[in-house]
Amino acid sequence: MTFAARSAAASAAAFFFLAAPARAADPQLCAACHGPNGNSQIPANPSIAQQPRQFIETALYQFREGNRKNEQMSPMAEKLSNAELRELGKFFSEQKAAPPQHKTGAEAAAAGPGLAEKYNCVQCHGPKLMGQQHIPRIAGQQYDYLRVQLHLFKAGKRADIDGNMTSAAKSASEQELDTLADYVAGLSPQ
Amino acid sequence: MKKTIAVAIAALFAGSALAQQAAGDPPWKQGMNPEQQKSTLHPFAPHMTGRDAKELPVSSLKVPAGFKVEVWADGIPEARSLALGDNGTVFVSNRNAKSIYAVVDKGGKREVKEILKGLDAPNGIVFSKGTLFVAERGRITRYDGIEGKLDSPGEPKVVVDGLDPDRQPGHFWKYLALGPDGKLYFNIGAPGNIVMPNYMQASVMRVDPDKGVLETVALGVRNSVGMTFRGKELWFTNHARDWLGDDSPNDTLHRVALGAKSVPNFGYPFCHQGDIQDPQFGKSRSCAEFSKPAQKLGAHIAPLGLRFYTGKMFPAEYQGNIFIAMHGSWNRTVKQGYNIMRVKVDQQGHASAPEPFVTGFLQDEKADPPMWGRPVDLLVLKDGSMLFSDDYNGILYRVSYSK
Repeated sequence: MTFAARSAAASAAAFFFLAAPARAADPQLCAACHGPNGNSQIPANPSIAQQPRQFIETALYQFREGNRKNEQMSPMAEKLSNAELRELGKFFSEQKAAPPQHKTGAEAAAAGPGLAEKYNCVQCHGPKLMGQQHIPRIAGQQYDYLRVQLHLFKAGKRADIDGNMTSAAKSASEQELDTLADYVAGLSPQ
Repeated sequence: MKKTIAVAIAALFAGSALAQQAAGDPPWKQGMNPEQQKSTLHPFAPHMTGRDAKELPVSSLKVPAGFKVEVWADGIPEARSLALGDNGTVFVSNRNAKSIYAVVDKGGKREVKEILKGLDAPNGIVFSKGTLFVAERGRITRYDGIEGKLDSPGEPKVVVDGLDPDRQPGHFWKYLALGPDGKLYFNIGAPGNIVMPNYMQASVMRVDPDKGVLETVALGVRNSVGMTFRGKELWFTNHARDWLGDDSPNDTLHRVALGAKSVPNFGYPFCHQGDIQDPQFGKSRSCAEFSKPAQKLGAHIAPLGLRFYTGKMFPAEYQGNIFIAMHGSWNRTVKQGYNIMRVKVDQQGHASAPEPFVTGFLQDEKADPPMWGRPVDLLVLKDGSMLFSDDYNGILYRVSYSK
């Protein structure tokens, strides 16, 4: 476990003790790891604010069903009903995304747009990379999170809803994936 | 187990990312020409948690005069194939999800129960003589006496296994139908959009549930996800290849007389819709050598379940007509389908061009997504009314008629 993940787990545990009677689907429970209103302040954890509703629901469904596994998320999602997943999807899709915490390096700023075009990022995630339907917003997402996910896709180790991300990441080099993460993480969500 | 899960995840559209070749496209992207590489067309993912019917524009659905369409049950995520039990239980399957549901009448109120979990793409279901047969990705199983033990169906018996030995990507989910010969009919689809199938792919097959022996019924069928019978005729729908343009080729309706000496070949991957040679595989072949479809249904319209109407509720002119659930096109810049169509058939097997029967799911043919719901399968109830499923929302609708 990385330091960030450890601290996230610790703060999540602390939160549980403080907010003991909360419902399983209480969006405030998500804040411990995903930040206030779903804007993550922990580099390893994704922002879930202003993500498409269907994406949030699908991601939670994947964790609940065991298709996607994560030490923090799997047990959180395990207890949730479909109605609760929809409620969380609605809530976080309606929160406004905060400005990015990451500042893109000069090299990635120059190469990023071309790579996003070349590897078809804009084709599915949209021209401003804000996501649609079951596809997430990646503009302004946490850099560490993006980087780790892209490398997992390339390695064929990340749950993939339709095979698109695995094939896209496999065709890019490790270096290009890092550049893409650097570029995308610094974009303003708009 | 890990492999099963991984494949199930990747299957949300049409194939497994893990099994595909390195840096290869997912199966649904395969067969694009260079100009199409930047296309934004994409398959639509269902809402895996289902959606509340009360949040949807159900009142915008349209049916002919005298008919009525209403929500019959919701809360059945990814509702796919339908089967009717002797005691009135409506069974509902999943494709990307892993469950089988039962809808039962409990004191005048409908109750939805998840009766089987953790299955592997259990798209095909048939109910016969107390038994529920389930076609998963690689096997067909049976749950005997199911209606008497919906709360604990127990472990199934295997009818046939090994239907997917390579766990290859592609159209592996199965429709299941019971023939007049007591055999179970099902599809094994093509492993990609346009690829050379192996000897048991791109076919319709059947198995005797008592003996577990397989027979080939039809070849050259890219992917059929809907089958039904009229006497000793098998009728099925078929999805043609993608990326040949908005209007080509047509998806098709097929008729096969059971008991014929030869196995018909409908042409895939060489010939589509009976008369279009594939630009790659068809170059050195002729469509003349292949069997023809009974009707062309529209390009990319995605026909799924079909049923002959033999109930007593609808007007006489509907007797013996085929209803077809059109899941709707994704591989088309102007979308079509997302409706229930009606096809008239004569005794010789001539089928009319399809005409719309239930419409209103398609809201904006150029939007992404263009629709709010997608019909999948049909079921005529004992009173003659007709149910259809919608996997995008996890809802069953009922169509009824009164003068």
